[in-house]
Amino acid sequence: MKKINFWAWLWIVLGAVYFFLPLYGTLDFSLREQRGVLSFLAYQNVLNDPRFRDSFTFSTLMAVATIIVGLLLIVPTAYWVHLRLPQARPIVEFITLLPFVVPAIVLVFGFIRIYSGPPLALTNSTTTTNALLMFGYMVVALPYTYRSVDAGLRAIDVRTLTEAAQSLGAGWFTILFRIIFPNLRVALLSGAFLTFAIVVGEFTLANLLNRPAFGPYMVLLGQDRAYEPAALSIMSFALTWAAIGLIQLLSRGAPEQSQLGGVH
Amino acid sequence: MAFLELTNVRKSFGQVNAVESFDLKVERGELVSFLGPSGCGKTTTLRMIAGFEMPTDGSITINGADITYVPPNKRNVGMVFQSYALFPNMTVADNIGFGLKIAKKPSSEIKKRAEEMLALIHMPGLGNRYPYQLSGGQQQRVALARALAFSPQVLLLDEPLSALDAKIRVSLRGEIHSIQQKLGITTIYVTHDQEEALSMSDRVVVMNNGHIEQIGTPFEIYNFPKTEFVAQFVGTLNTLTAEVRDAADKRLVVDGQEIKSAHALDGAQVGEKVTVSIRPERISFYGEIQKVNTMNCTVENISFLGSIVRIQVRTGANVFYMDTFNNPFLELPKIGDKIQITFSAEAVLVLRQSA
Ligand SMILES: Nc1ncnc2c1ncn2[C@@H]1O[C@H](COP(=O)(O)OP(=O)(O)OP(=O)(O)O)[C@@H](O)[C@H]1O
Ligand SMILES: [Mg+2]
Repeated sequence: MKKINFWAWLWIVLGAVYFFLPLYGTLDFSLREQRGVLSFLAYQNVLNDPRFRDSFTFSTLMAVATIIVGLLLIVPTAYWVHLRLPQARPIVEFITLLPFVVPAIVLVFGFIRIYSGPPLALTNSTTTTNALLMFGYMVVALPYTYRSVDAGLRAIDVRTLTEAAQSLGAGWFTILFRIIFPNLRVALLSGAFLTFAIVVGEFTLANLLNRPAFGPYMVLLGQDRAYEPAALSIMSFALTWAAIGLIQLLSRGAPEQSQLGGVH
Repeated sequence: MAFLELTNVRKSFGQVNAVESFDLKVERGELVSFLGPSGCGKTTTLRMIAGFEMPTDGSITINGADITYVPPNKRNVGMVFQSYALFPNMTVADNIGFGLKIAKKPSSEIKKRAEEMLALIHMPGLGNRYPYQLSGGQQQRVALARALAFSPQVLLLDEPLSALDAKIRVSLRGEIHSIQQKLGITTIYVTHDQEEALSMSDRVVVMNNGHIEQIGTPFEIYNFPKTEFVAQFVGTLNTLTAEVRDAADKRLVVDGQEIKSAHALDGAQVGEKVTVSIRPERISFYGEIQKVNTMNCTVENISFLGSIVRIQVRTGANVFYMDTFNNPFLELPKIGDKIQITFSAEAVLVLRQSA
């Protein structure tokens, strides 16, 4: 008994050290821009840099757009596959995994080749390039968003809920927006959060499409500053954890969660 | 023309014929049950009435209008599911009001209707709860209220009680029946529980293997089963092998003992083997009661079933049961005893083999 406990704790401690030590190192380093004292100077520098604010705003807006358009595309598709084409599920799953196999660099070169000339010259204006970038982000985030939506759909009885709504007179639009979307709250939140994290940190697509996004800014900063990139990493960690905490908090009160263990 | 009519309805899934030559006329306000074993096509037929499946052949009309190919959300048919299927994201009141909201009724009317329905299902004041805060029985009552709130033409229930435990099943069965009577709504009730079907239906449709075996009142189904399948499926049934001695005089022989039936033998040949059936409750000890038929048997087993005692007896190769009401003064035979039993000629049914 004692022995098992000892080993279990040992592994937990080793894991924690592996995870927290670099984080601690980065944090410590980020506070030492002023010689001899601990200070938040590096953080101030980052926050006061207009390029930081601009690129972060740009990426946030791109992330929001990607989340909205992505979910509007993925939820109805996954819903339809669940409801009517369950035999097509392996194929759809395979397609959503392709972004893991095909690197972003290949994707973006494909984009540039196809969309930089007629008939769809999207790279000619800023707005359409942004749209192209958003669609690129959607592809990159697809494996994560699809998986969380799919898990959410598995947790509810899609078919019976759909039929119940139909028998009460509801059409497809009503079913999607009054029944399916609200019951996928937690799944949509985690999908949205993952998309956000991916979009904000993405470098390749934004760089090659030449848009002022946060990913390229971080790389740039890393090239010519020492302490600021460390401060940035710590900040993005804090942001990530805050978002995870938020999801936990929001999902706690959600009916669908409680019902999983409820009466059936 | 009947209120709900299914005419020669057929449904096949690829090679599987789930439902065949289904003909049924349901009058306005009637409660009709579909009863049958698993996989016999009850749900499939119900889903065709609801519009979730399209018949391969045949037609369905409600109140004279052909709805065979009308989409489910345009049929005005209420449905209650085995798994309740309440919308988890909505309160009880919003669930009940959903149909009216879709129909764009004013919110004051929806609220009033939800309260009415909550009173009808004996759950006043629980409108603000969420489905997960209710017991299974309560959830199913809300599902019933939801299916009735928008005043559908027909109410369909697919094994609504089978996810609940026995006590609640019986009380909710009574409640569904009384609500149905109060509202006078035309209802189809699917079940594989014969007690449920017999206790609440105006008529029962017994199904087997995708076709109808018999349609009749619970009384007819139980007392005058038309096929061996119906006789076997509804109630406990004794089947005995008999030999025809005289078809015109309706005399048969079971293990060398002659019995008489009151039912026609339909031109059977002398010496032909037939199956006869006798319900356990129609057999008595000879002595206190004396009927046309008597038979000598050996007691093989005795089991107490509460209000009745079921005695298993044997004559030759035929093993069957007789039921007698339990009372403290009952003198029961012992296992191995030779006893004489008696039953009327009416109790002896000669069964047509089911298709
Ligand atoms: N979507 C489907 N695809 C293929 N076969 C189906 C489908 N739905 C039903 N069947 C088949 O049709 C037959 C009738 O099924 P149905 O669900 O109507 O039976 P049931 O009487 O409701 O049974 P239970 O009491 O188990 O619910 C079964 O053999 C079933 O396998
Ligand atoms: Mg069924």
